[in-house]
Amino acid sequence: MSEALMSNAGAAASCEDDLPVRQIAITQALIDRYADISQDFNPIHVDVAMAVGTPFGGTIAHGCIPLEPVFQAIQAWLGTDCLPSGSKMRLRYRAPSRPGDVITSSVKLTAAAQGQPDTVKILSFACHNQDARLVMDGECEVPV
Amino acid sequence: MNPDFCYDTARLGEVLCEGIAEVTREEISDFRTLMGYTDPPKDPTVAPTSIGLIFGLRLGWEHAIFPPGVIRTGDEDEFGVPVRAGDTLRTQFSIANKFKAKGRRFMNYEMRTLNQRQELVCSIRFVGMIP
Repeated sequence: MSEALMSNAGAAASCEDDLPVRQIAITQALIDRYADISQDFNPIHVDVAMAVGTPFGGTIAHGCIPLEPVFQAIQAWLGTDCLPSGSKMRLRYRAPSRPGDVITSSVKLTAAAQGQPDTVKILSFACHNQDARLVMDGECEVPV
Repeated sequence: MNPDFCYDTARLGEVLCEGIAEVTREEISDFRTLMGYTDPPKDPTVAPTSIGLIFGLRLGWEHAIFPPGVIRTGDEDEFGVPVRAGDTLRTQFSIANKFKAKGRRFMNYEMRTLNQRQELVCSIRFVGMIP
């Protein structure tokens, strides 16, 4: 069984400029497995006892984990297994993601790209946790 | 820690390490499962784009480039051709620059991954806040 819970509930986007919504449920088991494959055993991710004494108050997820719903939303929108060659992404991490969090993507076509016949779509994205706290945001250019 | 990787003595703009990773269909499938992909892949030999990030990060940790406790604060990424099962990926790692802001130290890491045909797979620049 997958350690991450993804939702297809938002596949029918609420607005024509919204992309499908994707979610990931963060667990310590998911973080530990991600550490195995990335070899990123930074104690702030995997050492629960040590992390309690840090300003974070506990372990936090690797940055790629809460970012994953953004990739999945764009790939679902395109109907592809991966982003097109030439895609570019800029992002800022705004808050840590922790075990127990459910991270939800929000990806939209930007106003600048709407209705333009160009071959590059500009997407803005944000991810929030279950308390509506922003954990990251950014922009993605996708050749179509 | 290797002085080439330390804030004060970092060698900027040079390739600090290089590594090779072979991608298997099993790894792609395991990654999709771990990250909760529910839709069946159109082509199970094609990896999700985000898998490319892992190989560079793995290289950085294996070579102890990152100081313990480093926190990633932002990325600028470019994605090239898809990763496919059977690909051999070569990643080069460098430190592009360093800076201080609001009393904290930051390093801008860069990893560039090509496949066996010398095609760009991904170019990842990310900022790490140094503890």
